[in-house]
Amino acid sequence: MFRQLKARFGSAIAMAVVGVLGVWLIAMVTLPQLQMIDYSFRPSLLPAEIGGPKDHWTLDNYVTLFNNEIHLAIFFKTLWSSVLVTLLTLCVSYPLAYFLAKVASPGQAALCLLLLVIPFWVNEILRTFAWFILLAYSGPLNELLLSMGLIERPIRYMSGDAGVLIGMVYAYILFMVFPLYNAIESLDGNQIRAARDLGAGSLRTHWRIVIPHAKPGIATGCIMTFMLAAGSYAVPALLGSPGSRWFTQIIYNWFFAGGDWNQGAAYAFMLLVLCIGFMSLVMRLFKVGLADIAK
Amino acid sequence: MDGSVTLQEVVMRFGDFTAIEPTSLTIESGEFFSFLGPSGCGKTTLLNMISGFLTPSEGRVLIGGEPMTNVSVNQRPTAMIFQNLALFPLMSVYQNIEFGMQVRGVDRATRRNKADELLDLVALTGSGDKSIAALSGGQKQRVAIARALAVEPRVLLLDEPLSALDLKLRQHMRNELKAIQRKTGITFIYITHDQGEALTMSDRVAVMSAGRIQQVADPETLYRHPQTGFVAAFVGENNRLAGQVVERRGELAIIEIDGLGRLAGCAGGDMAVGQSAALFVRPEHLRVVRPGQLDVARPEQPCIAKLESSPQSTLEVEVETLSFEGAWRMLEARLTANGERLRILLGQGADGAVELAPGERVHVGYNPGQARVLVDDGSPRLDTETGEVVEAASPGGVQAQEGDHVSPA
Repeated sequence: MFRQLKARFGSAIAMAVVGVLGVWLIAMVTLPQLQMIDYSFRPSLLPAEIGGPKDHWTLDNYVTLFNNEIHLAIFFKTLWSSVLVTLLTLCVSYPLAYFLAKVASPGQAALCLLLLVIPFWVNEILRTFAWFILLAYSGPLNELLLSMGLIERPIRYMSGDAGVLIGMVYAYILFMVFPLYNAIESLDGNQIRAARDLGAGSLRTHWRIVIPHAKPGIATGCIMTFMLAAGSYAVPALLGSPGSRWFTQIIYNWFFAGGDWNQGAAYAFMLLVLCIGFMSLVMRLFKVGLADIAK
Repeated sequence: MDGSVTLQEVVMRFGDFTAIEPTSLTIESGEFFSFLGPSGCGKTTLLNMISGFLTPSEGRVLIGGEPMTNVSVNQRPTAMIFQNLALFPLMSVYQNIEFGMQVRGVDRATRRNKADELLDLVALTGSGDKSIAALSGGQKQRVAIARALAVEPRVLLLDEPLSALDLKLRQHMRNELKAIQRKTGITFIYITHDQGEALTMSDRVAVMSAGRIQQVADPETLYRHPQTGFVAAFVGENNRLAGQVVERRGELAIIEIDGLGRLAGCAGGDMAVGQSAALFVRPEHLRVVRPGQLDVARPEQPCIAKLESSPQSTLEVEVETLSFEGAWRMLEARLTANGERLRILLGQGADGAVELAPGERVHVGYNPGQARVLVDDGSPRLDTETGEVVEAASPGGVQAQEGDHVSPA
């Protein structure tokens, strides 16, 4: 990379670019992570005891998670719910992405993309608050359904997982739509026409032609959505109930309510391992490499 | 198995633009039929109407006598070979060929047997497990044919499938396509802008321009007896000399051309005196005539009646270039009278031996029985150098047809 940059811009600029990139990667990404990992392997001590005889490496912080049934349950629930969010987002985004990429005229596609992007100019917290209002017990959604006679009494969306799922699908839809759109858009329209011409119906055409082609895009979208969902804090905090707590909320509590950074770091590190594990699993399932996703 | 295709008064409009003017046509079962025309003439639109990708704005399509109006693409007894082939790149050769059969619920063993048979037919025996990316251009072509034939279509539609191949391979594939068509007896409808392809393979050819079929005929008739100026200019090479009809004698028409006087040719259809028309003489029908040898070979074509006062059939030209093209030489010259360019093919006989220097003035003659006079019908004109359409259709020439017709004597 350095050689290419040097050939293009001269050695001074090349060194500056590589230097800045290096400082950013080391000082802002790698070192803080290492610091957190270091925290997670040490007990929580009073400032006076740091560096003293009690300050030694230990696995206690990790053991805590496996001894606490509630935390462990929330950990796996977060995993399961994030998978559910990912699948729901995929189900919603695929038809949309296909429509944008292959059915809509260029003008329609541009308009739809704009309409999709505009809400994301609003802060995530505010958007989630908007859903909070929409989904409220006597909020507009319930009113609408009641007036249409579809339900007899209002639904408590936010007492179970439903509110969190709806909020997250909405919050991360773009991260799924764009990779899918890019992948489907690159499919030659004649492939679809050829499948139809050979007698295939819509379902088979999607299953045999469009989805296999869009696999890298599906994998990218799923990985991004899963990571964002698993690491989400605002949506479960606002739209969730005590019954639908997210693992991030426990991490938050360790850091700021419990003041135990070491314990919080251990929990956060477990979540990171979970996400990396999920990512490698998806990549293996879809038989795509990192290079495909970077596209 | 009736693979005939009938178009009944089909019209295709896209907004204000009429891509296909009212067209009626019947393609016989088992025929190798081509649509030939320059790009943008509507031939692909016609193909898409037959395959079902487009629904005609008016009129209807019948296949095997059955109307296809409410039959969707995936239910029609047609199969298409796309210009870019559109093979499924993530599937093996077998999977590509078996796709259509799988859709139809054919069991595994039967599918595999059929696929092997088709691979034999297209001379790709044993390539079933290869991936599409591992095939050469010609092999992909064959897989595309096998994949289309696997669904046992009554009509095979081919959309310029050879255009991506090298010249040699293209010529080879022409013969193969024709052979496959004979073996299978399926109706082939072939779209091309390459007249070589259309003329060598087809039983009949429809020449199209600007959304209209100009002439439907077998290749020889198209070449020898073009019915419109467009066909005369588009199929093969032709010299075009524009003028006005002045006389009609039997099958012969005489036109007056500015600076050249009266010239004769076989009349291609009805025409009226005073109508604008053009004389078409192919380069191979022009001969260099040496002084004192003014007699042009006697007409062999039946269209010539006895000529009492023979109109002029020699023209004075100035030699521009003489290019060697292997079996023949092509003489490019300008008419001294009006500066229009003529191309004259010099064979290997006496003609081939003549020495001509640029700037030299010679006489060229033609046999009126081999030239054609065709009225200006307002169809697009082709650039003589590039063969591209240079002039859009204008209704100017059509009005003249309302003048009084000269009845053949």
